Amino acid sequence: MTPTLRLLPCIIFTVTSTAAIADNPVHHNGVNRVYEPYVQPLEREWEWRSYYQTDDDPSESDILRQRIGYGTSINERVFAELYLNAMKLPGGSLRLESYELESRIQLTEQGEYAADWGLLIELERERSESVSEVAAAVLVSRQWGNWVGTLNVGVEYEFGSDVDNEFETFMSAQWRLRYRESLEPGLEFYADEYTRGIGPVLTGLIRGEGNRKWHWETGVILPLNKTTPDVTYRVLLEFEF
Amino acid sequence: MMSSVINRVLALIFLWGVTTVVSAQTPEFIIEIREHLFYPSELKIPAGQKVKLIIYNRDATPEEFESYELNREKVIVGNSQGIVFIGPLKPGEYPFFGEFNPKTAQGKIIVE
Repeated sequence: MTPTLRLLPCIIFTVTSTAAIADNPVHHNGVNRVYEPYVQPLEREWEWRSYYQTDDDPSESDILRQRIGYGTSINERVFAELYLNAMKLPGGSLRLESYELESRIQLTEQGEYAADWGLLIELERERSESVSEVAAAVLVSRQWGNWVGTLNVGVEYEFGSDVDNEFETFMSAQWRLRYRESLEPGLEFYADEYTRGIGPVLTGLIRGEGNRKWHWETGVILPLNKTTPDVTYRVLLEFEF
Repeated sequence: MMSSVINRVLALIFLWGVTTVVSAQTPEFIIEIREHLFYPSELKIPAGQKVKLIIYNRDATPEEFESYELNREKVIVGNSQGIVFIGPLKPGEYPFFGEFNPKTAQGKIIVE
């Protein structure tokens, strides 16, 4: 086993062990996406994500999150994307919750070292409350034959007059088989202060005319603790042009 | 408590990074893009060894070196160069193409 493989369980344990035994904040769900550490110059994209969760607690069930974003590469190393985040609570209607600016930075060339490295910086501002978040994560990806493993580990600082200012850690990981370009099955894991979830995902790429591409992901994340919703369905669609 | 946890995570990530750094002794090969074609369109490289491709785009328009078989994509803007690391690979043929001009810009890496 390589040193990289030996250290991976240590990293996962370190982050997941920070998950406090505490009440889950209302409507919290740490399922997100797993980011790869790559940026292409001249890259532009529209992105749509949707998360739907069910739970045996009615107040935490039938919650829908929608996220739409537009992104463009600033140069060959930096990609920036602006998101609008909306949420629908049980019995309610979809409403805009927050704005988010995200930047992905590629640190190493793909294949240059045994693992590829990048950074993710996020800044999010709630629309109707004085709550802001700033987050930074390390993105690592490595290929083993037809398999690709990707790990995101980050720190988030939440601040504002409507929230207790605090640091939180989060982690997500994906293990994916490069079966064919249009269909790659995998497994994803998510952990933060309250969330521990794991489940199967399918991803793929559909090519259009010229450099137009559709990248899609879908998955079902199941809980590993009591403060994660019973089921989280996630869908992502990116149109690159 | 929380800061010590974060420090542990960062230390582990740093260790991981140190253990993944490899030697810089990587053979280099050159590919040129001219009038939406790759030169050479067939490139032979050694098996079981990482190589560095330096791709010069002599056209004024951008091109993307793309290969699912190699798990690589790299946009190279006009009149510039890009670096692509590939391998170590098993013997065989690995096709690539230019995503902006897929009908003309085609080639393959022959590993032997």
